[in-house]
Amino acid sequence: MAAAGGEQSVSIRLVVNERPHVLDVGAGETLLGTLRERLALTGPKEACCEGECGACSVLVDGAPVASCIAAAGSMNGRTIRTVEGLAGAGELTVLQQAFVSHAAVQCGYCTPGVLMVLTALLDDVPNPSEADIRQALAGNICRCTGYQQIVEAALDAAGAASL
Amino acid sequence: MQFCRVRSVAEAVDELSRWGTEGHILAGGTDVMPQYLRGERAPAVLIDIGGIDGLQGISDVGGVTSIGALVTMRRLASASLIELRNPALAQAAGAVGAWQTQTVATVGGNVCTAAASADTLPALLVANAQLTLVSKSGRRRMELGEFLDGAGATALRPTELLRAIELEPIGDRAAEGYIKVGRRSAMELAVVGLALRLQVAPSGVVSDARIAVCGVTRPPHRVPSAETALLGTQIDGGRIDCAEAGAELASAAAPERSEAARYRRRVLPGLLGRLANRCVADISGADG
Amino acid sequence: MSALGASPARSDADAKLRGEAVFGADLTRPGMLWAAVSRSPVAAGQIRAVNTRPALAIDGVLEVLTAADVPDWRTGVIVSDTPFLAADYVAYEGEPLAIVVADSRVAAEAGASAVVADIGPIVPISTPEQALAPGARLVHPEWNRFAVAGGADIGRDGNVVAEVVHDPGDLDAAFAAADLVVEGTYRTPRQYQAHLEPKMALAVFESGRYTIEVSHQYPFRLRDRIAQMLAVKPSSLRVVGHHIGGGFGAKLDVSVEAFAALLAQRYRRPVRMQHRALEERLVAPCRANALVSVRSAVRGDGTILATEVEIVSDSGAYANNGPALSAIPMFVFGSIYRVGTARIRTRNVYTNTAPTGAYRGVNGPWLVFANERHMDAIADALGRDRREYRLASLSQDGELMRNGQPLEEVSILHEAFERVDELAPWHAISERTAASKSSGDGVLRGVGQAASVWLTNPMPGHATVKLNEDGTATVITSATENGSGAVATGLRQIAAETLGLSADDVMVTMPDTDATGYDAGSQGSRTTHVVGRAIADAAAEVRHQVIDHAARMLEAAPDDLVIAEGTVTVAGVPAAHLTLGQVAQAATWSQGPIAAAASYVTPTPPHDPMCATGMLIKGWPTPTYHLHQAEVSVDPVTGRVTVDRYVVAQEVGRAIHPAALAGQIQGGVAQGLGFALSERVDIDHGRYVQRTFKDHGLPLAADVPKVEMIVMEHPDSAGPYGAKGAAEPPVVPVAAAVANAVSDAIGAPIDTLPITLEDVLDALERAQ
Repeated sequence: MAAAGGEQSVSIRLVVNERPHVLDVGAGETLLGTLRERLALTGPKEACCEGECGACSVLVDGAPVASCIAAAGSMNGRTIRTVEGLAGAGELTVLQQAFVSHAAVQCGYCTPGVLMVLTALLDDVPNPSEADIRQALAGNICRCTGYQQIVEAALDAAGAASL
Repeated sequence: MQFCRVRSVAEAVDELSRWGTEGHILAGGTDVMPQYLRGERAPAVLIDIGGIDGLQGISDVGGVTSIGALVTMRRLASASLIELRNPALAQAAGAVGAWQTQTVATVGGNVCTAAASADTLPALLVANAQLTLVSKSGRRRMELGEFLDGAGATALRPTELLRAIELEPIGDRAAEGYIKVGRRSAMELAVVGLALRLQVAPSGVVSDARIAVCGVTRPPHRVPSAETALLGTQIDGGRIDCAEAGAELASAAAPERSEAARYRRRVLPGLLGRLANRCVADISGADG
Repeated sequence: MSALGASPARSDADAKLRGEAVFGADLTRPGMLWAAVSRSPVAAGQIRAVNTRPALAIDGVLEVLTAADVPDWRTGVIVSDTPFLAADYVAYEGEPLAIVVADSRVAAEAGASAVVADIGPIVPISTPEQALAPGARLVHPEWNRFAVAGGADIGRDGNVVAEVVHDPGDLDAAFAAADLVVEGTYRTPRQYQAHLEPKMALAVFESGRYTIEVSHQYPFRLRDRIAQMLAVKPSSLRVVGHHIGGGFGAKLDVSVEAFAALLAQRYRRPVRMQHRALEERLVAPCRANALVSVRSAVRGDGTILATEVEIVSDSGAYANNGPALSAIPMFVFGSIYRVGTARIRTRNVYTNTAPTGAYRGVNGPWLVFANERHMDAIADALGRDRREYRLASLSQDGELMRNGQPLEEVSILHEAFERVDELAPWHAISERTAASKSSGDGVLRGVGQAASVWLTNPMPGHATVKLNEDGTATVITSATENGSGAVATGLRQIAAETLGLSADDVMVTMPDTDATGYDAGSQGSRTTHVVGRAIADAAAEVRHQVIDHAARMLEAAPDDLVIAEGTVTVAGVPAAHLTLGQVAQAATWSQGPIAAAASYVTPTPPHDPMCATGMLIKGWPTPTYHLHQAEVSVDPVTGRVTVDRYVVAQEVGRAIHPAALAGQIQGGVAQGLGFALSERVDIDHGRYVQRTFKDHGLPLAADVPKVEMIVMEHPDSAGPYGAKGAAEPPVVPVAAAVANAVSDAIGAPIDTLPITLEDVLDALERAQ
């Protein structure tokens, strides 16, 4: 978080998981802080806070961003999607279901960020190769799984989605 | 700290002139925000230029590739115009961080931060990049090499904004590329990065060679002595001998006594040979 | 249908995939205060003053506590050497100096940064070699006043925290009779766990008791350590566990929890703390850096007559669990390979660096690295094929480890060598790799193997199984789910199998030290084996109660009843049946609810108690056997190593959840590859050089190959349905297998980790 004191706020309008918000955020506030502390969306995780591990990844206008180093003030007019916005209150998405069946979740702390990146990939490239998937995940550290079951889940979801 | 959102270049230079060194430009934020969060940077105001449409866009202006300062790494890596005309830049942009970084990191940020490891700079240098810098008092154009060569980190003045970058596209019978060395497949600061643009005359002789490096101790730069050594080299059986140029490159680009420089001296000749032969293959492929 | 051997969904998968799972780092409480730790900026120094005024001037800061305000006794897991807050001197960078409490996290962290410590710097003891040098400054001049748990003699002496010596007597005769003597020195760095979720605590003080909410691998250890630090009864603390965002051993001991507890009591308000990434890295209980020297007397026919092993491992500034871990070399050297006589000395030493601790496969990766690099060196010296030499040197069933414990089933390794060879034939690969050296296409290829025997942690577990009135079951335990699936799948499957239910009909609780018996946490692959056994026993008793009650209801003989798929049926009379829900309902309102509890601890295997001095881990319980084979290519221009193929043959008791087992093998290998190739934890003048994830170099998705797996089931008679530990060992042989493969590719030995680009180029130069 930013150093204490002396921080002015700035007003932003943004849409998060299809809900519009008007918020006053701090000048040095991160998008991760806004999501977790103002909007109670704790799906995006606090981990490295340096933009290096991907656990905080969300989609901004459809593209993955490390929300821990994204300035909340720069999000005016943007559309944000977090892991909570994937299934909402309904059925898990095809990708999420593939994570269940491939045992691609272990501790689960990287999972929200990984899901967002793979969701963006499957939107961009309907039939990604294994190499595409591994490259897309370069910004997402998973210390538990060694990635294989995540990659297999993504391949499976891509196959299922293209049927 | 304040947050100031500007809508136009005019507004941006107004704010820059008002705040001077106290105003820090926020574009992609991949350097600025972590530095701020670590307490290494404490500006009075963040000037958010992300909403300036005039700084976007990739275009062909009379045979020159023009790139707005806010063009992101992701766009550079995938834009067909760049892939076709400045492929080393596309490769370099694709080698920056990971997708999350490439979504927001801008070419202007890479140029103005001018980190020693900045992947895009060697690719821009071999394209003889020209920068357009604007301030309240007007605009000036400057070669990237000159911009990076001064006593400070860059020649950028506190009141200036980088507006656009113009690049020479590769010509006929020419090819270029960028390769970098790191421990991992991605997310690495280049231990060493190398861009090469090569042009071969119909006779099979190298008619133009441009070599630039990053990851070295100095800011990224061209290596004229290695370029000279490559000029006039005859392509023989589809292969190019880079031994002399490689030796020049190693000694000129990494003269220091450190362990890191020792490593760079050892890898640069082999990297140059690999990249040059890739370029030769591309040129003959395009020919045949 | 059996609940075992299939791969049902984890109980926590849905919540984790929706972002709904509440991890420790997500916890919040109305009215809570935040606290942050001000830490030493230097590795060693005399504290002259700690100026708290700049912190107190920050808006929102309520108080700054220094050593004068907190308990003044030292505590520790084994050696009571660690102060609550540093008082007179600091012993490592990151050591806590002051605690800032504030009404927001921002203010607490700003306050922690604002505290000014006036420290007279001292040249730090940066390496174990410096610590052991004659006349070296003592890291703790008062070391002799530190108490040791149970008064054990662990061979402490000055900077030596612990010494374990196994000395069977004279080795000179063996070395005199040897045809050749092979020596090697193997150096390995620290490894940082790099779990993603930071350590945290939420402490509440109410009605004279503390409740500590955490994401922790070992809530009972935490309870006991906080009690030790605050000098209160363990039962005055209740530790409640939440989802854990990775631990790998980093979340086994106390970190900020005691600070939060003290403040919660002081302010009578909830107090929340959480590490930042740099802080996490500075104080993580990394895998210890170590130096292993091995010297073997070898006969021309390959027989190893004697081996002498000298080990120095870095404890860091405090002892932590290093003294216990110093016994582990006894189970690696002279174990799966015959070495005749062995002399093994391990010293764990103090330095002015962050205390090291437990990382998955404690000490194993570097011990096996030394052992298996040494096996390659001997084979090379003899001119023998490396695989053939290993096979010829393998111990036989019943042979003894150095602690006198028989290796009952070491012949499983013979099977492993055969099975790996069927999948990835050694000779064909060796021919290919040899050809790469003369092909001139540039890329050099190599192959390597490494084998090991690893334990299943034996420490106590407890579970209650209750049959719910709707016929489902709940397992009540403080076993912790650190991600492996041991709790979220394995324990549920074991209960389901015993009760004739589907795993989906078995719930399991989160840890709570008030609600369950003692559990020794997620470490050493113990949960499925130890807690699973307790659950199997408790569930068997529940099953007995069900049969007993159903027999009365159905007016049938108990022996005639069958339980399957949630139904009790009289054998041969399908119409005569009751659902488990009907039985549970009837029982609840007649004799009382159906439930049972059971405990388990693995007995210590037979061993020779006099085998060594200073040994706190006496035996190697419930061992499993492992063989890894790596194929690599080396780019001679850059020195970059690519792992092209990786094969694991792993012995398990029973593959309870095959997909989770595969995840443990793949994930363990990935951590091992990071240790071997890309991760860096360098120490310069007592300070860590790499301070961010980027500098650290964790393996990414494109860096890790798909691991090919051969799972060998050899059921254990004590384990639930035969299960032994499975999750920890896949990390153990990886660096050894990779280093053997890289050395093969280059034609020169790589005996230092990590295998850097520079080291590869240096070795290539040596080889030419």
